[in-house]
This record gives sequence, structure tokens and C-alpha cells, in this order.
Amino acid sequence: MISVKKVTKKFGKLTVLRGVDCEIKKGEQVAIIGPSGSGKSTLLRCMNLLEIPSGGEVWLEESLISAPDPYLHPEIIKESSTYKTLTKNGAEDACELIVNERKLKRYEGLGFSGALKSYTAEHGIGINSARQKMGMVFQHFNLFNNMTVIQNLTLAPVQLKLKTKEEAEAKAMELLRRIGLEDKRDEYPSKLSGGQKQRVAIIRALAMDPDVILFDEPTSALDPEMVGEVLDLMKSLAKEGMTMVIVTHEMGFAREVADRVLFIDEGVIKEEGPPSEIFDNPKNPRLKDFLSKVL
Amino acid sequence: MDFFDNIVRLLTTEKYMDMIYQGLETTLTVSIFAAILGLLIGTVVAIVGISGNSKWMLLPKLICKIYVTVIRGTPMALQLFIMAYAIFAIRGFPQEITAIVAFGINSGAYVSESIRAGILSVDIGQTEAGRALGLSGATTMIRIVIPQAIKNVIPAIGNELIALIKETSIVSMIGMYDLTQAAKIIGSGTNMASYIVPMSVAACFYLAIVYILTFGIKFIEKRLRAGDKR
Repeated sequence: MISVKKVTKKFGKLTVLRGVDCEIKKGEQVAIIGPSGSGKSTLLRCMNLLEIPSGGEVWLEESLISAPDPYLHPEIIKESSTYKTLTKNGAEDACELIVNERKLKRYEGLGFSGALKSYTAEHGIGINSARQKMGMVFQHFNLFNNMTVIQNLTLAPVQLKLKTKEEAEAKAMELLRRIGLEDKRDEYPSKLSGGQKQRVAIIRALAMDPDVILFDEPTSALDPEMVGEVLDLMKSLAKEGMTMVIVTHEMGFAREVADRVLFIDEGVIKEEGPPSEIFDNPKNPRLKDFLSKVL
Repeated sequence: MDFFDNIVRLLTTEKYMDMIYQGLETTLTVSIFAAILGLLIGTVVAIVGISGNSKWMLLPKLICKIYVTVIRGTPMALQLFIMAYAIFAIRGFPQEITAIVAFGINSGAYVSESIRAGILSVDIGQTEAGRALGLSGATTMIRIVIPQAIKNVIPAIGNELIALIKETSIVSMIGMYDLTQAAKIIGSGTNMASYIVPMSVAACFYLAIVYILTFGIKFIEKRLRAGDKR
């Protein structure tokens, strides 16, 4: 469903992601774990382009949602003036050389820009339409403070003309009943507890009928006694087969819910596999060290 | 009791009161329209200022930056003179418009900084949540960020309006007849031959305007904060 191809992310001089490849399949629950500062949240935010990758590509189904990365496409590299100069000077594997040494310059001639443009036109979709299919749940909930619960739930579906106001409200009430907060429909977020806020944030994502939901440390900002209610809701979503990508520190939850666990450290995926493998039989020394600290 | 007798004399003499009202009218006209112009300019400049660094925005951003720097870095009186004696130095050009434009442009620079600060004070997570739902940048700004920013901006804007009203008293420097100028003329030798009385009356009018404005701002602020915790 989501393909992350050789994604890198730099913040100024700091490199957070150093070429991450991963594939999220439909109906799969993937947990991303790793020490803080390892780039796990950045990877998640690159998936819906809240962070624009510095390199690499992000695909949703068959559509390119990031900018195309010329280094992944030899046919585009062949349009570049660097490639043409190198071949003229007799270099044999000019393409390989360019990829390995990241030789492309800022401007590579009209043919190259045109090739990039036509590639985007052929495969790309607008980021806003891609995000409609990718829900996101944040660490700090980010409910719209100037709106009531029901307005939070109906704003996007109505604004984006996916539903009429009546349909959106009916769906919102159905979701509110599911989490047992139908009496809070006209409250402002400031009147809700942390756990309630996060559950409303989750159903706000669900109200868009997304294909996948990205969770960015959904329980890290909660009081301990509220973690359970949020995790329970996420578990029930998992049971229904919702595709979920979850950055989490809750190892017990990751083990129970995830089909697959990615361990990220220093901006690369150091190890991945089913939770039983990752937690009971870790191979990477950094993962062993990490688990010994958190378990 | 000479002072109070003179106050009563001023307030009951039709000629003097006409002069006061005429001055008051200029002061209010210039203040109100300059405030509206300032808010418009300030909002546009603030939005340009916080917009992304795409290549299309570089020139507008630079222009806005220069505008704010120059206007905040030079005296208001000088800006008014330039407007009156250089830019609008046209015979018969209405002075009110000169003053409105000069004060509007001046106010816009200050207002833009307040609005920019107000928008930046809204947690970035609000924008991210809007964008993550697939809403466009403009919709997110209009439906989510600006309604929250307004609450934070109102006190600063109120301050700016108050300063603006009082600052308009310098329009007499380009020969306009405002409240301050009216008081000065009433106090001169050909009239009451006492400055303290008309000046005190003018001061009371300024105070009253500012007080009403402050009250209005407090009221709006209270209404907007109804849904908040604090």
C-alpha cells in the first residue's frame, strides 16, 4: 500500500534518515520501534509528506506522492547533461557512476527537467488527495481547539466534499458511539481528558474512511491510566483489518498487535521481522541493547 | 475657579464646540479609515511573511520585509511630510486621504508584526492535523489557524489602534484641522487666550475615545475566549 524507496531526510546538516526502504501491505499492522532520535517519527511523517524527503520516493498504491527521485530512474538520468558529458568522454558506466557518487547538479538541462515533469505527470497524484486516504494520529492529539468534537469530525469530509453535512454527522455520531463519547459531541477539546482527546483524534482519522492510518507515538503524551483505552481502540481497529503504521514505545502493544516490527536506529532499518523474532530472538546488537533497556 | 468657569464657557459656546466637533470629525475619520487600511495591509504582509519559501514568494517577501523595516525605522511625522509634500503634492488633493494613506501604511507595518506573531503562536500541530486530513493550506489557514490566531492578536491590535488614534494628532503639522489643532486655535489670543482649558477638553475627548475602544476590545476578547480553559 505504501512504498518507501531509499528515503533520506536531512535537517540542515543533520541527516535523520539515511536511505530507508520499506513496504506497508494492505491490512498489515506495522510497528516502528527504536531509540529516540533514531528517525522513526520522521520516517512516519515522510509517508504522508508532513516531512518532505530530501531524497527517495514515497508511493501510495500505484501513485507517486513525493517528488520523483532521478537517482532511482536510469532513464531520467540518461537525459541529464552530466550523463551526456560523461558518455562523450568515454565513461562506460556513466549511469552507475552518477548514482554512486550522486553527481547530478542542480540544473541538468531542459531534457532532464522535462523527463522529471512527465514522470510526475504520469505517476504522481496531488498530496492533498493522497492524504485523504492516509489518516494520521499525533502524539499531542492536535484536535482543532476552535471547534467542537462533532465539528472536528466533520470538517474535513464536508470541506473536501466527500460527504454531505448530514452523512458526515451521521458517520461521526456512529464513531462517537463506538468510543462511548456521544454525549461529548458539542464539547470543545479543552473539556476532554487526554485519553478522550486521543480517541476522538483516532475517529477523526476514521471519519475520512482512510485506507491506512499512521500513528505517531499515540500514547506517549497520555497519563498512564489513559493509555489502555487508546490501545484498546487501536487493537479493535487492528482486528478489523485496518492497515496501520504505528510508531510506539509500548513494546507490549507492538508485540501483541503488530504483524511486523521495524527497528530503526541511526536513520536506517537495522532489523525487521515478526514480533516473535524481534523481541525473542533479536540479532542486531543495537536492537539487543535497546530491548535490554526498554523491556 | 477661573479654570472651571472657562471650561463651562467653552462647553456652552456654540462657536467653540463647533470647532471641537469639526476637529473631532477629522481625528475620527483619519483614525477609522487608517485603521482599516492598516489592518488590510498588515494581514496581507503577515501572510506573505509566513508563507513558504517557494521561488514565487521570494520577491513579495523581500518587498514586505523592506516595507516593515523602513516604516518602523523612520519617524511618523517624516512619513506624513513625505506623503503630503512629495507623493501627494498635488494642488487641491484632499488632505484627509493623504493622512489616511500615511497612517494606514504606518499602522500596517506594526499590525503585520502582531498578526504574524499571532499566527505563529498557534501550535504547528493544528496546521499539521489539517493538512494531514487532506485540507489545502488555504483552508487550514482560514478554518483552523486564523480563528485561533485572532484571539491572540486582538490585545496587540487594540494597542496599535489606541496608539494610532493618538498619533493622528500630528496631522496639524501638515496644516490639517483635527482635535488637537482645534484646541490650539481655541486657546489662542483671538479666542479664549488660555491654552489649558481647550487642551484639557481635547484631552478628555481623546481619553473618552480610547476608553470606549478599550472597553470594546475587552468585550470582543471575552466573547472569543468563551470556549477556552483560561
